Amino acid sequence: MIDTGRGAGGLELVIGRVLRIGTVTSSAFLAAGLLLTIAGTGASVAGILLPAGLIILIATPAARVIVSVVEYARERDWLFVALTLTVLLALVASVVAAFWGRAPA
Amino acid sequence: MPPITTGLALVIFAAGAIAGGLGIVLGLGGGIFLVPFLTLALGFPLKSAAAISLTTVIATSSAVAAARAGNQLMNLRLGMLLEVATVAGGLLGGITAQMVAESTLQRVFGLVAIVVAGVMVGRINRRNVILDEHVDPGRLGGRFYEAESGGIVTYQIKKVPLALIASFVAGNLSSLLGIGGGIIKVPVLNAWCGMPLRAAAATSALMIGVTATGGAIIYYGRGDLQPLAAAPAVLGVQVGSWAALRFAHRTSAKWLKLLMAALLIVVAGLMFARSGL
Repeated sequence: MIDTGRGAGGLELVIGRVLRIGTVTSSAFLAAGLLLTIAGTGASVAGILLPAGLIILIATPAARVIVSVVEYARERDWLFVALTLTVLLALVASVVAAFWGRAPA
Repeated sequence: MPPITTGLALVIFAAGAIAGGLGIVLGLGGGIFLVPFLTLALGFPLKSAAAISLTTVIATSSAVAAARAGNQLMNLRLGMLLEVATVAGGLLGGITAQMVAESTLQRVFGLVAIVVAGVMVGRINRRNVILDEHVDPGRLGGRFYEAESGGIVTYQIKKVPLALIASFVAGNLSSLLGIGGGIIKVPVLNAWCGMPLRAAAATSALMIGVTATGGAIIYYGRGDLQPLAAAPAVLGVQVGSWAALRFAHRTSAKWLKLLMAALLIVVAGLMFARSGL
C-alpha cells in the first residue's frame, strides 16, 4: 500500500467492501428471482426478489457516498463533506423526480 | 416491450456478458453496446433499454470498483468532486430530453465521439506521468504503483473546470441514453487534465455508478424499468466483467487507447445511422 498521506487507503478499502457486499447481495437476489421465474414456480417470491435485488443494486452506490461523507467528516475535511453531501442531495432529488414523474400529467 | 421468455432472458444475459466484458477491456460502462442491441435487435423502447442499461452500468461500476479498491488507481477525491457535476447533469438530462430532439442529441454525440477519438490517437505515445515520488500530487492529484513503468506514478490534475464540464455532459448523456458516460470523461481526463489513462478509467468506473443511480431511480419510479429484463442483463454483465477483469490487466495502455479510438468511431457511425442523417 502506498501512503498518500491522507488516509485515503482506508476509505478505499471500506468503499470496496460496501460495493462488494451490495454487488453480491443484489446479484444473488436477481439470480434467485430469475431462476424461480424461469422454473415457473414461486412467482410471488420472485416478484419480491427481483425488485429487492434491483433496489439493493441501485442503493449500493448511494451507500458508498454515505460512507464517504462519514470518512471525510472524521478527517475534518469540510469541503469534501459538503461536496459529498451535495452528491447525496442530488440522489434524493432523483427520488423526488421519480415520484414527481409518476403523477398524472 | 417484448414479453420476457426464457429464450429472451438468455439472449439478454449473453448480450450483457459481451457488453460487460468489452466495457471492462475498454474502460467504458458497456452501455454503448447494450442500448443499441436492446432497441435495434430486441425491439425494446429506448427508454426501457436505457433503464436496463443503467442498472448494468451500476453493476459494472460496483463490481469493478470493488475489485480495484486497494491499488489506489481510483482517485476518490477527484471522483467525488466530478460526481457533483455528473449527478447534476444526470438530473438535468430529463429536462434536456424534453427540449431537444433525440436525433439532434445522437448527432452531437457522434461528433463528440469522433473528435475525442482523434485526440486519443493523436496523443497515443504521450504519457502524463511523473515517476518522481517527491512530486506533490496536490489536493486532487494522486499516486499509484504501476508495474509497467516499474515505479510509483504521480500525477497532478490540470484544468479542473474542463473536467467538471465534461463530467456534466457525461452525466447528462448517461441519463438520456443509458450509457455510463466514461466515453466522454476518460479521454478528457487523460488528454487534457493530466490523468494517466488507468487512473482516469478506474476513477470513471467508480463515478458512473453514482451517476447512473440518479437516472435509474427516475426510470424505476416511472415504471420504465422491467425487473425481469434487467435481472439477466445485470447478471450477464457481472459474468462478463468478472471474466474480463482477469484479462484486462494484460493489455497495455497503448492498445487500450487504440481500441477506445476505434470504438468511438463505431459508436459515432451508429449514432449517425440512428439519427437518420
